[in-house]
Amino acid sequence: MWSYTFRRVLATIPTLLAVITVCYLLLHLTPGGPFDGERKVSAAVLANLQAKYHLDLPLWQQYLYYIKSLLQGDLGASFRYADWSVNDLVGKALPVSAAIGGGAIVISLFIGVALGIVAALRQNSLIDYLVMLLGNIGGAFPSFVLGPVLVMVFAIGLEWLPAGGWDDFALRYMVLPMALLVFINISTIGRVMRGSMIEVLGSNFIRTARAKGLPMRTIVLRHALKPALMPVVSVIGPLAISSITAAVVTETVFGLPGLGKLIVNGAANRDYTLVLGLVVLVTVITVVLNLLVDLAYALLDPKIRY
Amino acid sequence: MSHNKSLRVAAAAVALALAGTTGFAMAAQVPAGVKLAAKQELTRNTGSEPESLDPVLAESVPANTITADLFEGLTATDSFGKVMPGVAESWKQTSPTTWVFKLRKNAKWSDGSAVTASDFVYGWQRFVEPKTASPYASTYGIFIQNGKEITEGKKPASSLGVKAVDKYTLEVQTPYPVPFMPSLVANTQLAPLPKATIDKFGKDWTKPGKMVSNGAFALKDWQVNSKIVVEKNAQYWDLKNVQLAKITYLPIEDHNADVKLYESGENDWVLELPSGTYDKYKAQYPKEIRNAPFLGLRYYSLNNKDPLLKDVRVRKALSMVLDRDILAKKVTADGQSPAYSAIVTGTAGADVTSYDWVKWPMAKRVEEAKKLLAEAGVKPGTKLKFAYNTSDYHKKMAIFAASEWKSKLGLNTELESLEFKVLLKKRHDADYQIARNGWNADYNDATTFLALVQCDNDQNDNKNCNAKAEALIKQGSDTTDQAKRKQLFTQAVKMIMDDYPMIPLLQYTAPRLVKSYVGGYGKNPMDRYRGKDLYIIQH
Repeated sequence: MWSYTFRRVLATIPTLLAVITVCYLLLHLTPGGPFDGERKVSAAVLANLQAKYHLDLPLWQQYLYYIKSLLQGDLGASFRYADWSVNDLVGKALPVSAAIGGGAIVISLFIGVALGIVAALRQNSLIDYLVMLLGNIGGAFPSFVLGPVLVMVFAIGLEWLPAGGWDDFALRYMVLPMALLVFINISTIGRVMRGSMIEVLGSNFIRTARAKGLPMRTIVLRHALKPALMPVVSVIGPLAISSITAAVVTETVFGLPGLGKLIVNGAANRDYTLVLGLVVLVTVITVVLNLLVDLAYALLDPKIRY
Repeated sequence: MSHNKSLRVAAAAVALALAGTTGFAMAAQVPAGVKLAAKQELTRNTGSEPESLDPVLAESVPANTITADLFEGLTATDSFGKVMPGVAESWKQTSPTTWVFKLRKNAKWSDGSAVTASDFVYGWQRFVEPKTASPYASTYGIFIQNGKEITEGKKPASSLGVKAVDKYTLEVQTPYPVPFMPSLVANTQLAPLPKATIDKFGKDWTKPGKMVSNGAFALKDWQVNSKIVVEKNAQYWDLKNVQLAKITYLPIEDHNADVKLYESGENDWVLELPSGTYDKYKAQYPKEIRNAPFLGLRYYSLNNKDPLLKDVRVRKALSMVLDRDILAKKVTADGQSPAYSAIVTGTAGADVTSYDWVKWPMAKRVEEAKKLLAEAGVKPGTKLKFAYNTSDYHKKMAIFAASEWKSKLGLNTELESLEFKVLLKKRHDADYQIARNGWNADYNDATTFLALVQCDNDQNDNKNCNAKAEALIKQGSDTTDQAKRKQLFTQAVKMIMDDYPMIPLLQYTAPRLVKSYVGGYGKNPMDRYRGKDLYIIQH
């Protein structure tokens, strides 16, 4: 397994380089530059700004310069936020996104799996329909509708929680955004878990277990859960990636200082270094999470060995 | 603000500027009978994360709002736009191109050291220095002797026309008469800077715990994309007139999220209402809705080099059929007023011009416009291309304009919604036919708006040029007779506007919600409200 992990990590390097190169070119091809503002700066000031950020060099030299700094762990200076380096900005946004997105995914995994199991065991009962309804609501309503509804009810109506904002990982600011992400994620996890559990419960080895007279609790937890989790593990990777790195709507609705908003603003401001830095980060997160998913398969399925 | 009142404010500002001054009543005085709340804390949304808290690198409204609380220049403007003494207690124009500012001896940095004339010399030189790359260097720097040449790298920063005559006397040389100097130096790009701190910390000098500032407030906390907190600066020279103990600035971009925070009590100040909600909130919160016009112009740029639009008759026809009254009352419906000039109401240094046809009935205007198009050989069905940046507000206005041109002149408009940076690029490169545009004054003088229509000016997206008007502007800039200057500028504006280089539409207002317990909110023509002038009323 270790050699497999090592090979996978090694394979990340060309992926990363390709992603950076394509992104670098796309950013520079996009019309409008970082210093195009409502107030057009004079040619002299533009030249000064470009010199400050090395934009006066030929593109290939800028690219090499960027790669060189990247190898030294320096993501460069932000074009937009003059007082911060990209390392600073990413370093501040990542923990927020990881706490909200990561926390939400762990909670949704437990709730989603539990709901899926309950629905599967009571197939076509009222509980099943309720779980499915919940799942469909979470899937059908976009977060820009659900988010403001949560705010209206819990912040403005009941005044239990703040309508948004962030204060150094204070729990009360984290509850609503996490609740929104959990609600959206459990709809997927719950539905997948239900379907998969129904299928597993109908398989031969479960029938054998039943015939032996094992209690249902043991059958589900000891025999059915592991194989039924396989499809959930497949969806959890992409869900975790989007919850952590692309929760733009959630971050906008609740005014969170996370990665999603940073990447959208970075692109809108043509903050080349910031966008590239975030792309590097998102690529690394994606690769790591995908690797974890693959390793989890081996734990769940005895047929898989690395 | 009524027309007359705003003129009076502007006139007062100019009069102050000209007369030189001592012994003002200070701002932030709480009216008699108003009871202050025990907790003097304000939370206001500034609309986005500031790009920098270094005053010379600040460019956006959010950044300038915060730096204006952290730093104080030679002068400052109060909540009504009146020029007040800042670090300078008095000033005088000693020759057409020389200003002398006397600094107060009790002005201090937040570390307790004295603010001296050499701090201004250092700050201003750093401002125009090419290495600093301040986006405003070419906007304000040009009014100081050699500022333009320094920004262009042709002269050293030490040659800038600013000199510390002694510890508390600053002498400023200008390349030509700059009558609005006292208003100009209120901008924090021209604030003094703490050399020792900047030398010590470099780029990090703007961080909490490191920043030394001289304004009414000092930096306490900065959580990127979350909030910035400042607290009363105990060393500030006018401490007794500062009521707020703490200000929290939020960087909320989403207008709906901004209002939600306001309604749940976590924000006292909504920067901008969501599009189309002004009437709703006006009815819902009649005591909290605030709306005042400021020195800003919404307009449509016409590309004067475009094959179709290079004919003045076509440009005139397009402008005269747009019903600004309907646009203001029904389409945007947020208290803005129609505009027909490049100069807006309240601007010092030139009068607002207008057109004869403004008073005509619409039918007559349409008839005239049709005639002009026929003379220019433009047939109904001709296609126009209109570019705007993606936003509900701009879209609504664009659809209105397109329908006006279609229904009244039979012209077909293709609307193109672009990402903001793409529109900016197209506008700057004159790669468009008609484009949405807007401008907020940088300082209260006609020259800030004249830039939009002057020959070869960086801000002129229309690419128009009227040589005769240009000569009048030059003549006006060189004269020291203020009445003459105003008359020449007004004449030039009229001359330019008769070329129809652009379509002025509306004068901006700032419709927003501010809690009724926030006192000191005035009608600032620049829409700038310093924390020093605000206070929390008992509630």
